Amino acid sequence: MQCLMGQSRREAHENLAIAMNRIGGKSNSGEGGESRDRFIPSENGDSRNSAIKQVASGRFGVTSHYLTNAKEIQIKMAQGAKPGEGGQLPGEKVLPWIAAARNSTPFVGLISPPPHHDIYSIEDLAQLIYDLKNANREARINVKLVSEVGVGTIAAGVSKAKADVVLISGFDGGTGASPLTSLKHAGLPWELGLAEAQQTLVLNNLRSRIVVECDGQLKTGRDVAIAALLGAEEYGFATAPLVASGCIMMRKCHLNTCPVGIATQDKDLRKNFKGTPEHVINYFYYVANELRQIMAQLGFRTLAEMIGQTHKINSNKAIQHYKAKGLDLSSILHRPAEYRKMSLRNSEKQDHCLENVLDMKILKVATAAIEQGTKTSLSYPIHNTDRSLSAILSNEISKRHGHTGLPEDTLTLNFKGSAGQSFGAFGTFGLTLNLEGNTNDYLGKGMSGAKIIVKKPPTATFVAHENIIVGNVCLFGAVNGEAYINGIAGERFAVRNSGAIAVVEGVGDHCCEYMTGGNIIVLGNTGRNFAAGMSGGTAFIFDPESKFVNGLCNTETIEFEPIEEEEANAQKLNRKSC
Amino acid sequence: MGKITGFKEYERKDETYTKVKKRLKDYKEFTVPLKKDEIEEQGSRCMDCGIPFCHSGCPLGNLIPDFNHMVHQGEWQKASWILHSTNNFPEFTGRLCPAPCEQACVLGIIEDPVSIENIEKNIVERAFKEGWIKPQPPKTRTGKEVAIVGSGPAGLAAAQQLNRAGHTVTVFERDDEIGGLLRYGIPNFKMEKEIIDRRVAILKAEGIIFKLNVNVGVNYEVEKLKAFDSVVLCGGSTERRSLPTPGIDADGVVQAMDFLTQQTKVVMGKIVENQVVATGKDVIVIGGGDTGSDCVGTSNRQGAKSVTNFEIMPKPPGHRSPQTPWPYWPLQLKTSSSHKEGCDRNWLINTKEFVTDDNGKLIALKTVNVEWKTELGKRPELIEIEGTEKTYPCDMALLALGFTGPEPTIANQLGIALDVRSNYKSEYGNYKTNVPNIFAAGDMRRGQSLIVWAISEGREAARQVDIYLMGSSILPTKEGGDLPLLGDRT
Repeated sequence: MQCLMGQSRREAHENLAIAMNRIGGKSNSGEGGESRDRFIPSENGDSRNSAIKQVASGRFGVTSHYLTNAKEIQIKMAQGAKPGEGGQLPGEKVLPWIAAARNSTPFVGLISPPPHHDIYSIEDLAQLIYDLKNANREARINVKLVSEVGVGTIAAGVSKAKADVVLISGFDGGTGASPLTSLKHAGLPWELGLAEAQQTLVLNNLRSRIVVECDGQLKTGRDVAIAALLGAEEYGFATAPLVASGCIMMRKCHLNTCPVGIATQDKDLRKNFKGTPEHVINYFYYVANELRQIMAQLGFRTLAEMIGQTHKINSNKAIQHYKAKGLDLSSILHRPAEYRKMSLRNSEKQDHCLENVLDMKILKVATAAIEQGTKTSLSYPIHNTDRSLSAILSNEISKRHGHTGLPEDTLTLNFKGSAGQSFGAFGTFGLTLNLEGNTNDYLGKGMSGAKIIVKKPPTATFVAHENIIVGNVCLFGAVNGEAYINGIAGERFAVRNSGAIAVVEGVGDHCCEYMTGGNIIVLGNTGRNFAAGMSGGTAFIFDPESKFVNGLCNTETIEFEPIEEEEANAQKLNRKSC
Repeated sequence: MGKITGFKEYERKDETYTKVKKRLKDYKEFTVPLKKDEIEEQGSRCMDCGIPFCHSGCPLGNLIPDFNHMVHQGEWQKASWILHSTNNFPEFTGRLCPAPCEQACVLGIIEDPVSIENIEKNIVERAFKEGWIKPQPPKTRTGKEVAIVGSGPAGLAAAQQLNRAGHTVTVFERDDEIGGLLRYGIPNFKMEKEIIDRRVAILKAEGIIFKLNVNVGVNYEVEKLKAFDSVVLCGGSTERRSLPTPGIDADGVVQAMDFLTQQTKVVMGKIVENQVVATGKDVIVIGGGDTGSDCVGTSNRQGAKSVTNFEIMPKPPGHRSPQTPWPYWPLQLKTSSSHKEGCDRNWLINTKEFVTDDNGKLIALKTVNVEWKTELGKRPELIEIEGTEKTYPCDMALLALGFTGPEPTIANQLGIALDVRSNYKSEYGNYKTNVPNIFAAGDMRRGQSLIVWAISEGREAARQVDIYLMGSSILPTKEGGDLPLLGDRT
């Protein structure tokens, strides 16, 4: 069972995390990152660490260390209550410690963009799943989808893309802060999406390798029983456990005046939170108890037996209601012929094929560097099949040395060739990646402190600053580190960067979109829509023809300043430490 | 809601009382109202909850956040409309209600709840002062005749609602004044009787017919009720509880209701022969409820030598106990303005004997301390503690022990079934008795209860009568807005 939450504040959030960790459930961090002190267990053995770490379009605080501390990593493709919409955190709620968890500027409003900038196709999603699996091999990768028509096809794709879990999220979930228009008019009930996903997965023999979860106002044991019979084996709760811990549904989550201290940043009001883990545990005890009663009635010994047994749902009573008359539920309860031969539930693990990746080879050689911090330099050829390089290494470094990793240049890796996607993904402190050649998309995705250098090979005859050397969506969601690119980058460079420094000789469209921190230096031409929604950090643009200031830059949220010579000399681009 | 941070900025402020010495001199109300600005500030403490539990805490389903907001905005007339849309007589509840709404107020979880009752009182007083409360006679009459027996809050509320629906309403009252317990059961210092007269004048102007000194079933044959299309019985729960204690018939043992009624009659300028007074006496009030408290206040005003209060139950805790969680009405110690005027309060004490002198005059009370043995599934058992016997000198003992139920006179004559608690049997929500056109509401149906419940039942019963008479009704209803019963899992 899972607990999910977005708006709720530290005390309530930690309370739920402790409760779920005690009973073997999982709580969800939400998309806002998580304070690192929560990763450390309390003295009494309780853990405030959220087992599920969410990775949403904003990528707030998604670092190697954050992912390393997850038991499950959830890619939030959309939210049930507001599909297709991004999130917004108004400036007054971005208090210093919220800003720290999200790596942004205090009191500056944050925008979570509607799409993931690194996902434009199911293949991109597969790549992100692969990146995250590399970033933490023990964690399950969960893809959160919204219940909608066609979700079955997407779920099939997600299963093929090797996610371990797919979540079908219903429309009546969501925080009290979701816009009313979305709450009322967007999304579908989880029952519809779940039935479609289950049937499609079974029909294509994809069900056995993936766990199906559902959420969206599940509250009772009966809800769980129906979800199980329709095909889900895991169940997400949010409102009800929150009510158990004191929420009185004031619907003031967005006004900062929650009187019971759940959805507010107000110091005095937060003191009013009276919930305890026991409240939440008690609630789940009741849910389990009711579920057992229903299981006994239906003759099931285990929950696993129940999965997908739609013929056990008696819908007559519901259909006989005068308002429901004429409803045809047969397609929801449909059991295709394949149900006889295919697995109806998760029965095997996804094969993520991580045994022979380049990182594993390096890992074997670089033990001294990773364990003791011995300075090491290694060289390898690289090919475009070598994807997500440095994610596994960073994971191992984060496990041992925490967020701050190793001292600068501890492990220097020199590559020659054409690197695959996500070169330097989630690279943490202490790693230096030297590449002579070029890279595919997503260079330095979620970079967490590493140093990446990409330069053209000395033998190449082309002019560096006139040619593209790295792909699209480089440094998406980068949190820390440095990137030096001896050439032009593709589109969407440094989107959602929150602390990395990069030097590049030209960029495509949408550079620095939604950026909240860090420094980007572009020594060449930029594309259109530069700095859209940017709310922090600095970009230095070489703009001799004044094309940038006259149209290429999106000036909605930014200010131009010329660089004075003395100031430029004095300015030091210090590595940010946090 | 007018000010989302109002509750953080302002503390609760209640009206104050004039000094005890001063207020004991007469039987006038002694509250000192807050200033208009202060009330508007208090209104802004309301948080406009997503789920306003006060709605359910209030038996009337008052639209509390709405009128709080209007008061905060200075829109007093709109506040009065909103208030009167669910409550016929806010001037009664604004003074006398124990305010279960405030106990259900969400703000009460973290600090003092919004002063809803005081805001209510101020709205209605302002409305009367400004002349906003005008008679609203129905535009058309249905030609149906309805009799209402009893002119307490239930009867008056039912009368006003039914009259608004266009029926011709006759209210029968056995006393010489309108109001039932409001009139003679509540001391003048809690509610001055002009407050009732002011409202009755409106009701009369709306076309309601009042018949005083008519005791249905005694000096008015029940057969005559057949002339009416429907009858609503709102006779209250007036059978007084007594004690099986030796000496109960002693001269000086007085029922609280007789004592209070006489005093109020005197205040109203009526002549009362042989009035029982507490002047110069050692008074013991048996019963620690609201009536007991009224007896304390009245005794002190009459100049009692000493006032002592007995209660057989344990002293309640000073705060909400886990057995009665928010938003429910908590069992907790209440100290009324009368208690503060001087009295010695005792809990867990039982009267063993009323001691008399040779002339049968009360001179003392023999008491014993008790404790309650509770066992799950059994009725709590009263156990006397040996060696705690005590004698209290006493010239007057007032029995404020509550009421056992309604008088059965009318039920017997009309053939109306009673329930196990001797109340007139009719279902909550439809108010029908076993006699087709007869309805019962208020204390007569539910047993002794609050004024706010009486008004609520009167309103809802009126709607049921209207449906019975006309097939449908446009009268408002709170429907199923009550808090679920504590411990009720169905």
